[in-house]
Amino acid sequence: MRPHVEPHRSVIAAAIFGIFNPIPFGCFVAGFVFDVVYFRTGEILWDKAAAWSIALGLVCAIVPRLINLSQVWITSRRWSTGADRFDFVLNLIAIVLAIVNSFVHSRDAYASMPAGVWLSALTVFLLIISHATSAVRAARQAYGHA
Amino acid sequence: MHDSLRRIAYVLMIAAAISGCSEKAQLDAAQQSGSGPSLPDQRNFLVPPMQVPDFAGWKDGQTPKVAAGMHIEKIAGDLKHPRQLLVLPNGDVLVVESNGPGSEAVTTPKQLIANSVKNRSGKGAKGGNRITLLRKNGSGAWEKHVFIENLHSPFGVQLIGDAIYVANTDAIFKFPYQTGDTEIKAPGTEFADLPNTVNHHWTKALLASPDGTKLYVGVGSNSNVGENGLEVEYRRAVVLEIDVATRGSRVFASGIRNPTGLQWEPVTGKLWAIANERDEIGADLVPDYLTSVRDGGFYGWPYSYYGQNVDSRVKAQRPDLVAKAIKPDYAMGSHVAVLGLWFSANNSLPDKYHGGAFVAEHGSWDRSPLSGYAVVFVPFKDGSPAGPPETVVSGFYSDDEKHLFGAPVGLAQDADGALLIADDVGNAVWRLASDAH
Repeated sequence: MRPHVEPHRSVIAAAIFGIFNPIPFGCFVAGFVFDVVYFRTGEILWDKAAAWSIALGLVCAIVPRLINLSQVWITSRRWSTGADRFDFVLNLIAIVLAIVNSFVHSRDAYASMPAGVWLSALTVFLLIISHATSAVRAARQAYGHA
Repeated sequence: MHDSLRRIAYVLMIAAAISGCSEKAQLDAAQQSGSGPSLPDQRNFLVPPMQVPDFAGWKDGQTPKVAAGMHIEKIAGDLKHPRQLLVLPNGDVLVVESNGPGSEAVTTPKQLIANSVKNRSGKGAKGGNRITLLRKNGSGAWEKHVFIENLHSPFGVQLIGDAIYVANTDAIFKFPYQTGDTEIKAPGTEFADLPNTVNHHWTKALLASPDGTKLYVGVGSNSNVGENGLEVEYRRAVVLEIDVATRGSRVFASGIRNPTGLQWEPVTGKLWAIANERDEIGADLVPDYLTSVRDGGFYGWPYSYYGQNVDSRVKAQRPDLVAKAIKPDYAMGSHVAVLGLWFSANNSLPDKYHGGAFVAEHGSWDRSPLSGYAVVFVPFKDGSPAGPPETVVSGFYSDDEKHLFGAPVGLAQDADGALLIADDVGNAVWRLASDAH
């Protein structure tokens, strides 16, 4: 996801980031889909599926977010660009929304709606922007358009 | 994996609690008892109000506090989670030692956390799965005998003729009994099966009709408010009637979320029940109640509470059922967790405790400050409640509400007219008697 890997950067951190960073996005997308289904049908399976997806997404987000935090604000602060900081903030807001959403999903039955489906939609929207802009930057750099 | 998930969840929960998502109760018990309790609006929380004292147990010589004119003594200790009591005709006392079967699957992240919080109080300790018999010997001391062993989360117990009926969580078992027995070696035979999926509410309260032809079973719901899907609620949140001769059963009354105690009101001879109402929509919602149970009556769960107050947490609403939901007769206060009921027309306690219902309140978790953790008396007149509940036994937790010594559950009256109280946190049976005797 990082558009430009600085030579001093830890290869291991980059690898771990690459492995874990996509997982929360997938989990939150799944959670959003399950929420839409639950909102429409009231079938309790989908409420529970969404609750687990969001919880798993949050757990898997811990390591990549900490790596990103340290790279943007501590270890690689000198090289981090405005785009990096924008990406950090997008993810931060998405995670906060997902945490609130996991509490909303701890409510019983239909009490998780409609707040749950809105929070899921917002989380996914923010992560789409993050992943899309990161991908575009990576592509531009690879083809020398940057 | 469970442990680390739980740790993360704890941190999140504490963060949310600090950020002020919870609330303190606004109404006191007196405003929420009787025939017309005040009901605030339903609220949804990020973290529901929650306060659970830590298990402490009773110190040597320490007892609950009792109302004027009475004293209390421990007649049995070192029991394994005593829940229900039955006094046999010869004065022997049966103590059902039990707790949940622990068979409910974890199907939501919330359960990982909620279970561990609630179990801090000692209410989740393992039960003995047995019945102990207490007998007062010539010197006035109470002997302890193991009466029936190897039960499966038993709760209700009744005697009809020469048979003891024990309501395990999955089935009623029948045991042969002769007056004077202190031990039943004969294996029980299965008498009737009971709803046994999930067992979110696992207790099966049991009451025989005075003529011994019917057994009534209180079966709790499989969820707080339908969050496990309504398909697992078949024959749940009901009072079942079983015909003793044919073993056939039918739903006698429905929509009673968790009917934990059944008794006959002595003046009218009507069936009454105590019931635990739903959680997590406010510290002051919904009051647990004491009510007469009408044949064919529907009492609202899960669609509505306290009559026609619709619960928005249920998606597929049933306005047809809500329209006929019966408002319970008498509120006991929110989250007090009523678990023991005993009607006493006459006893050896002071006169003001004659002609009414004793109710044991096991105590709250979904409320701050704590409520319940007491045995109260509801006076009756002409077969109906007449007046506010009076606290008879209290002092089950420390003054700072941090430590829990005991919690009252089953109630019964011994041969001398004293009130017996099972305490499943203190693992004791208490005997409340008048100072005058």
